[in-house]
Amino acid sequence: MFLLQIRKFIVCCGLVLLFATQVFAIDQPPTTAKQVVDKFQNELLSVMKKGKQSSFSDRYNELYNAVANSHDLTKIARIVVGKEWEKLSSEQQQKLVEVFSKLSVAAYTHNFKDYNGESFTFDSEEETTKGGVVIHSHLSIPDEKDVKFDYMLKENGNNWRIINIIANGVSDLALKRTEYTSILQRDGFDALISKINEKIDNYSKL
Amino acid sequence: MIFFCRININCKAIFTAMLIGAATISLNGCETTKTVNKNIIFNRADPYEGFNRKIYQFNEDVDNYIAEPVAHAYQAITPQFLQTGIFNFYNNLKNVNIVINDLLQAKFQQVAQDTGRFTVNTTLGLLGVVDAAKKLGLEQNNEDFEQTLAVWGVPRGPYLVFPLLGPVTARGLPGAAFDTAANPSTYFFGAPIQVVSVLNTRANAEGSIKFINEAALDPYVFTRESFLQWRKSLATDGRSEDNMDLDDVIEDNQPVDSDKVSFINEAKQFAKISQQFFNISKSFNQTSESFENAINKLDSLNKKNNKI
Repeated sequence: MFLLQIRKFIVCCGLVLLFATQVFAIDQPPTTAKQVVDKFQNELLSVMKKGKQSSFSDRYNELYNAVANSHDLTKIARIVVGKEWEKLSSEQQQKLVEVFSKLSVAAYTHNFKDYNGESFTFDSEEETTKGGVVIHSHLSIPDEKDVKFDYMLKENGNNWRIINIIANGVSDLALKRTEYTSILQRDGFDALISKINEKIDNYSKL
Repeated sequence: MIFFCRININCKAIFTAMLIGAATISLNGCETTKTVNKNIIFNRADPYEGFNRKIYQFNEDVDNYIAEPVAHAYQAITPQFLQTGIFNFYNNLKNVNIVINDLLQAKFQQVAQDTGRFTVNTTLGLLGVVDAAKKLGLEQNNEDFEQTLAVWGVPRGPYLVFPLLGPVTARGLPGAAFDTAANPSTYFFGAPIQVVSVLNTRANAEGSIKFINEAALDPYVFTRESFLQWRKSLATDGRSEDNMDLDDVIEDNQPVDSDKVSFINEAKQFAKISQQFFNISKSFNQTSESFENAINKLDSLNKKNNKI
């Protein structure tokens, strides 16, 4: 009888422990670069699966957290304007980070709006000489050629954050940097912000 | 080196003359062309940006007023399976050109793969209309003569936009001429079939054009940068890491000695090219060694047979 009670107690303790570790695992933020990318890709797929049933603003709100928790948006915004960053006032820098973040999420919301059996597969991981990590993966789309997605991550504090995505060899950061710096130098800061706002507006209407 | 420089200078002069001529002809004949911003930021890869932007705008107008409506009409009257079939047919003929470039770049494994692809699609795939090779797991490699020239160490040259043809690099011009000459469709089909091929290509590019229009703040710069990066990625087989980590742009605020940087880049480029030549000669050596081994084996077999 006593032995039976001990056994029951051990089983209960085991179940409690299992439950506790699972809850802990869910709450635990991703610690490695690969985990950050995995989590982001899963969140992206989950929003895609909801598809057009959910509105643009619902998908936008859901993706905002996913993007903010996996990308270093402040650093990306600094890089895309290059040396021009130093010439901007702190208000302008803040404004740029704000609208750039909105544009990034709006672009994800628009481009990943429906699900047709797509899946992400991890290929490999490599460390760069400048202290970064590159996660090589690919997106499989049924009846279409795979799209190679390479994520460049850097450590920000204790967290790994995406700073660049290279799709089929085309670097998003390099592309944006050339585009943004040329608009800044040619047309000025206000023109750049109004162009970004125009794009955000277009994405929400498409 | 001097020889290449001379060629480069001559090419630059010829291209400038061609671009001036093309821009004058095309812009005079097109009233709808929009004003192009005169204040252009100099970009090393695109020294003719002013002219290129005008040609780009001309191409955009031609696309908006002619190519897009015609391609939409073509899409409306042509069933999807036929569009896919036409694409597959032309894509299969391209394999001949791909195999030649595989050989010129000494990529012998790809030679076998792409030859297999062409054979399977031409036979099982009903002259290429069905992409049977893909179903067997034989993915198509993307090789052309511009990439071959890049592997041989020919510099990229300036970025150019041609009327109706779109973006190209100076290195891509002889590349395009060679690729056209090496593609069987150039010789076997008349103008109407070629027009169908162009229409089909435009119809298939619908998604990409839409994406550029939606995403780009400056569609000209967006197209140029993505084109140059894509071509570089193809030429290096995805091994280029130049645009991956741009973090030092904000971390390194020290003034940059441009001459020093250019010298270092040239030295790196030279090292890269010599490494590529070394790799090519190494694979040729390996191939000749394997031929030698095969001949030796045949000899020994012959000797055995003679003894028997």
